[in-house]
Amino acid sequence: MHEAPIINLGGFNLDFSAVLMLFVSCLIVFVLCRLATRNLSVENPGKLQNFMEWVVEFVQGIVGSAMDLKKGKPYITLGLTLILFIFVSNLLGLPMGIITEAHQPESIFGHIIEATRNLSHGEHAEILWWKSPTADISVTAGLALIVFFLMNVLGLKYNRKHYLKHYIEPFPVFLPLNIIENLAKPIALAIRLFANIFAGEVLITVILKMGFLGIPFMGIWQGFSIFVGALQAYIFTILTMVYIAQTTIHEEESH
Amino acid sequence: MNVLWENIVITMISFAILYWLLSKYAFGKLFAIMEQRRELVRNQLEEAKQTREQATVYVEEQKEALKQARQDAFEIIEQSRQSSSKQAKDILDQAKNDTNRMKNEAIRDIEIERMKAIEALRGEIGAYSVNIASKLIEREVESNPAEQEKLVDQYLNEVGNKS
Repeated sequence: MHEAPIINLGGFNLDFSAVLMLFVSCLIVFVLCRLATRNLSVENPGKLQNFMEWVVEFVQGIVGSAMDLKKGKPYITLGLTLILFIFVSNLLGLPMGIITEAHQPESIFGHIIEATRNLSHGEHAEILWWKSPTADISVTAGLALIVFFLMNVLGLKYNRKHYLKHYIEPFPVFLPLNIIENLAKPIALAIRLFANIFAGEVLITVILKMGFLGIPFMGIWQGFSIFVGALQAYIFTILTMVYIAQTTIHEEESH
Repeated sequence: MNVLWENIVITMISFAILYWLLSKYAFGKLFAIMEQRRELVRNQLEEAKQTREQATVYVEEQKEALKQARQDAFEIIEQSRQSSSKQAKDILDQAKNDTNRMKNEAIRDIEIERMKAIEALRGEIGAYSVNIASKLIEREVESNPAEQEKLVDQYLNEVGNKS
């Protein structure tokens, strides 16, 4: 099992790999969007602008399928950020992973990496630096928590009466069930994304152990991982929109 | 695999920053451009629709004008046909009248000439017959001057009564 490069800063565990990969993901997404919107033109859009407009329309389709597009307009940027960030994150671990082997306690910036702290002679720890950020359950949990906060806060803000009423429907006895249902949403989001991407990376590691024999498998699996990465980004985004729509929009027909 | 709350916080912060950066520096402008394009396309469609309607109206007007022109041409032809036939008839009538008048005049002239000729003839015949008669009578009168005198008076009387 690969360890994470964590240092302890006065009780705050800083995971360098997570910070690095989050930074890289954000940087790639931001640079891509900046390049795409650099020379904007109404009548003669460039290739990247066309691509980005296609993404925007795709996300508009996602939002439109979950709720009325007029009400969903503020969430398009959220959906775009989510889908681009998750897709890029999912792909980052595919081309390579960077792993260092530590035989004695190593330190960064004067702080000992926690995983190497108690290494005795002859033991070694493999430290994973470069991976998909979404292959870390903490990162996916962070994303899912954002969605969780958003759906509940927006529900309370725009649709308070029906949002609160929905907890005791159809009967007040269902209150605990409804709370569990609400809590299960972000957990399911986080675990679904994490498990898919993590499994992909584990299988890549396994295929690497096969040596040259594994090359065809690696090709197939890399292609499939790209597909899974895109699919998971899509699923995460559409579920986010569905959840937000469920809490914020009160449909007259259903009552 | 253990969940690190620090990573969760870092993820949320970085995602929030990314969201803010993207909405500020990238997507705002992109949305505006897409909205502009939508507007442009809608305007062009509207314009095309208007142009088409105008064209339809124009064609309709042209059709109407053509029909009108045809009608006018037909009327003009009809009118000219009528007027020409009327004119011909007038000319014919005029000619007929003229000939009638000329014929009548000629008849009258002929009559007058004839009367004149008759008159002249009558005068001449009178003179000749007087001549003849005088020549015939001369022989008798030479022998009898009283008788001659009497005859002349009678003759003169006759002429005076006649005129």
